Amino acid sequence: MTKIKQPEMCPRCESLKPETLCHSPVKNAWIIYHCPVCFFTWRNTEPDFITDPAQYNPHFKFKPESIDTFDIMPAIPELKR
Amino acid sequence: MPFYDLKSFITELEKQGQLLTITEQVMPEPDISAAACAINKLGDKSPALLFENIYGYHHAKIAMNIHGSWPNLAIAMGIAKNTPLKQQFFEFVKRYQNYPGEVEYRNQAPWQEVIIDKDINLFEILPLFRLNHGDGGFYIDKASIVSRDITASEPAKTQNVGMYRIEVKGKDSLGIQPVPAHDIALHLQRAEEQGLDLPIALTISNDPMISTVAAMPILYDQSEYAMAAALNGEPYPVVTTELTGLDVPWGSQYVLEGYVVSRYREAEGPFGEFTGHYSGGRRMPVIKVTKVSHRKNPIYEHLYLGMPWTEIDYLMGINTCAPIYVQLKQSFPEVEAVNALYTHGLIVIVSTKSRFAGFGKAVGNRVFTIPHGLGYAKIVIVVDETVDPFNLPQVMWAISTKFNPEFDLITLPGLSILPLDPASHPPGITTKMLIDATTPYPSEQHGHFSQELKDPITTDKWVEKLSNMLNAKQ
Ligand SMILES: [Zn+2]
Repeated sequence: MTKIKQPEMCPRCESLKPETLCHSPVKNAWIIYHCPVCFFTWRNTEPDFITDPAQYNPHFKFKPESIDTFDIMPAIPELKR
Repeated sequence: MPFYDLKSFITELEKQGQLLTITEQVMPEPDISAAACAINKLGDKSPALLFENIYGYHHAKIAMNIHGSWPNLAIAMGIAKNTPLKQQFFEFVKRYQNYPGEVEYRNQAPWQEVIIDKDINLFEILPLFRLNHGDGGFYIDKASIVSRDITASEPAKTQNVGMYRIEVKGKDSLGIQPVPAHDIALHLQRAEEQGLDLPIALTISNDPMISTVAAMPILYDQSEYAMAAALNGEPYPVVTTELTGLDVPWGSQYVLEGYVVSRYREAEGPFGEFTGHYSGGRRMPVIKVTKVSHRKNPIYEHLYLGMPWTEIDYLMGINTCAPIYVQLKQSFPEVEAVNALYTHGLIVIVSTKSRFAGFGKAVGNRVFTIPHGLGYAKIVIVVDETVDPFNLPQVMWAISTKFNPEFDLITLPGLSILPLDPASHPPGITTKMLIDATTPYPSEQHGHFSQELKDPITTDKWVEKLSNMLNAKQ
């Protein structure tokens, strides 16, 4: 397998520092990456519409700041002690 | 004889021609979910799939579609694999009413063979993969998850086993979706009110019955293990874990233990859901995994869900019909059968005898207020007792001929529904609809129903005779 280039951005939220999460148990088969901002996780061997930010389905993309507008489920209850 | 672990069930499926073993090398994505999606397109008698050669893994084995057909469910119940659906329903109801069965506590389990309690990396331990293209990550969606209300005077009595979607968000961290209506959300609420973490155990790759029960809408104070025992007709074996003190199935392949972090929420999703739509992103609770136990050479069981029908529709099928039927029958003994197979009961079809005018409408309205109906029943169709609610052509006949919207349609605005229903507006609220397709009963005057056609008088005998002849030819 040719040397794998570390991705520069998360395909989904496009934030800049995706991390390498783990390597395949069989050497050099694949790498799993992880975005610490939106928690998107992907394997480098997935189709390019998953791995390439430019081809990622626009209906599923969002900006890191929009996470703050996500609904909370379930609600955090009031402390009772 | 019931099955106490996944491997013995797979062996039986293979014996009965209900297993396809895929020995060629497959890619984690998109091959495994594509194959599991495809097998459901080949009819409602599909086999389970066992993948034995997954690119990048040394020995991983992945089982899919274990519950994904009526024959597989019949085999799990220990009945003939071609048992017709309505008969499977009545057998399930019969055993369901034997609740509670006996829970058998054992000291040791095969899943204690390998223990990992430091440097946990779930991506190495489990052959994780993406199910649907829009999913935000790799999910565990067939775990039977055990929790208790730790603030109760007797926590063990509140123990619950449920199936909730789990996003693997880091080497030892998971996202979980506790829908407010589900038992685990109540456990979490009570713990969070006290500022406490909630101990939790995820059991993966189980015997077929506990998955059926974990995905079943049973009552809060009922025990899933006692229900599995009732459905199996034998005591159900469990083992108490050392770390969390929770009871888990003896037959699990993997047990993940840890805690739900108190009063914390984090972005999760989207995830392709049983509604055939993605859930969108939400901020949901997070689990820290502190101990993993598993069998040597485990099989990882997973479930494909997507545009219905898929395995999840079978898994949440008969087990959803049975409690609705029993609860309805407590109010109306005239109820004959209930079909809540579609999208976990977003549509419910009830067949019933009528006792007086307007009876079908009364039965239909009751469906909206039973526990599962509150969050699911959006459309209720009521048909005569002579119509088999599992036979959709018959149901369509009843609607097309008995139903007159002027007299037989009721809509009820502003009712509750699960927020995952993509048509709800705002999420969690919907108008509901009742279609009364029963024959009008005196003194309802509308329509002309005195000349309904009946089958020739010896038809039932011929059904039996011809089916025996066909079986003898096989
Ligand atoms: Zn991201």
